[in-house]
Amino acid sequence: MGKLVRNTVMISTAAMLSAGINSATFADDLTLAISMRSLSNPYHATFARGGEDFAKSVGLPFEVLVTEGNSEKGLADIRALISRTNGNVCINVDPNDSPDAATIVDEAKAAGAYVVTQWNKPDDLHPWDHDPNYVAHMSFSGVGTSKEITNALIDAMGGEGGIVAIGGILSNVPAIERKLGMEMAVAETGGKVEILDFQPADWNETKAFEIMQAWLTRYGDDIKGVWAANDSMGIGALEALRQEGKAGSVPVVGIDGTEAALSAVEAGEMAGTVAWDPMWTGGMGLSLCHAAATGAIDIAAEPHEHREFYGTGIVVTPANIEEFRGRDASFDYNDYWAKSTGQIQYQ
Amino acid sequence: MASINLRALAPIGVFFLLCFVIAVFSPNFLSVSNAIRILNASAIPVVLVMGATFVILMGSIDLSVEGIVALCAVVTASLVLNDTTSANLGLWAVPFAVLAGGLIGAVNGATHVYLKVPSFMVTLGIGFVCLGIATAALGGFPVRISDRGFRTLTLGRTLGLPNGIWVATAAVVVALIIQERTRLGRYVYAIGTDEITARQSGVPVERTRVLVFVLAGLFSGLAGAMAAAQLGQGHALIASGRLFTTITAVVVGGTALSGGVGSVLNSVVGVLIVVVLTNGMVLMGVPPFVQQGVQGFLIIVAVSLALDRRQLDFVK
Repeated sequence: MGKLVRNTVMISTAAMLSAGINSATFADDLTLAISMRSLSNPYHATFARGGEDFAKSVGLPFEVLVTEGNSEKGLADIRALISRTNGNVCINVDPNDSPDAATIVDEAKAAGAYVVTQWNKPDDLHPWDHDPNYVAHMSFSGVGTSKEITNALIDAMGGEGGIVAIGGILSNVPAIERKLGMEMAVAETGGKVEILDFQPADWNETKAFEIMQAWLTRYGDDIKGVWAANDSMGIGALEALRQEGKAGSVPVVGIDGTEAALSAVEAGEMAGTVAWDPMWTGGMGLSLCHAAATGAIDIAAEPHEHREFYGTGIVVTPANIEEFRGRDASFDYNDYWAKSTGQIQYQ
Repeated sequence: MASINLRALAPIGVFFLLCFVIAVFSPNFLSVSNAIRILNASAIPVVLVMGATFVILMGSIDLSVEGIVALCAVVTASLVLNDTTSANLGLWAVPFAVLAGGLIGAVNGATHVYLKVPSFMVTLGIGFVCLGIATAALGGFPVRISDRGFRTLTLGRTLGLPNGIWVATAAVVVALIIQERTRLGRYVYAIGTDEITARQSGVPVERTRVLVFVLAGLFSGLAGAMAAAQLGQGHALIASGRLFTTITAVVVGGTALSGGVGSVLNSVVGVLIVVVLTNGMVLMGVPPFVQQGVQGFLIIVAVSLALDRRQLDFVK
């Protein structure tokens, strides 16, 4: 009897699952989609929200695909979406890993779908080589913004002293760029600022917490500033400082502009962060893709700086946090390049 | 007889050897303030291994640690003064988090025992479900805690030591009493050593298994509340990396994955070894590229020294 019940439960679960798959509609309309790593971090959650906002503004069906950090899953989902829509789809994708972008572009081109990529792509893959299906690549200048935020840290330290630096996953492109920008800013001080140690904490706040604790033992009061390649790790380091009653007395900087970091800047516990604009990358990426797909713009005729461009990263410090909070963050979906800060440069 | 005792002391030997080597390279390691930092970083892992040890002693595994900790951290953060909900329970949020953890543990145990699904799959699945709920409930954003009073759970100090250390100590005492002074503790060893014999001698195997998973859930729930207090927020990714530390610490401490051999005290030493290793790498200035390799190598060395092979009939 017990076995019978168990089998019934399993069969009905399987039936429900397959019903869910069958009920997915075969849309005649153009479908808009976003593909990204995960919904469990604020950056990507806002990125998806931006896409949804644009989809609503044009009244088209919208889907979110999540890779969960797995390139195979990401590619399979995109393939399924393209075939389900007969290529009648615009995808704004943050590829899980750089090489994935090439495969995604090939699939889209073969089916007549349109793609915009974010952050990750091989340096030698360019939208203009895959007209018109590969619409554009958007990114943020990792080196430039990291240099700016490091300078903000050095200012907060009074221009000299030792810093400790927490990096992201060593092989990630943003981690490499941000580290490079930090090192360039430190080198420009001509030896007044010294990097005491660099440790990767894999974007993880708990790891950053533990590394910061060990640094307090190793360097103690020689630490005059803390640099973190993202805000989560910055907050982890800040909490380790708080445990020792040092929150606010040693300046910390991060990158991403998360709400936790912005509040810490307001409270004077962090010396700054860089705010990206995921609402804009999510929405504008799809808007540009949609414009190319519907023929509103002839994307093949656009210059290179309109095909590979940086968005605006705003360095937020205690000096401008109030202004940043009060800024008008709205933008016009038809003014595609208003927030571009130039063509992407390769190091 | 003497050699058995030596073997049981092996994890402690590994621990002191490790401390000695690090101290040679970095004298600061032995300072009181660093000892406090190491104990403080050990607090949450210690609470987690208290539950995980019982599960592993029983020959099962609990892979839902990260999911339960994250969900309970979110529950805690939502129940104290925060930026998302209007609740303000202060420290009373802790029992709710612990109970929530116990409830999820009960689901783990019941699914495992009554649907006869291997604990590996059940807990893996339930862990993902918990992460999914935490993600869906918050839409990817953290709940930030503004209640300073609640955060004294880990930030405050009593008799010079951070409160987190006291909470972890209390958890160890409770776990030790369960292991040494209750039937549940005896049953766990009996099931882990030989389930069939245990069943034939009248050990309520099913009930014990469910209870042990409830126990693991309760400890994970407590760890969730502590994580929320330590980082001042609750979100779906707050526990990432905890599962690996937990299982490693239990095994490094000398508890066998096949069950029946080990103790919660072994696991405390296991946590200290793992935490000292992380701390020591930074203190000694081991290059980041090399650290993971060294860590993996030392863990294998520690496990091979700590395992009492004569008590193991087979290794899976």
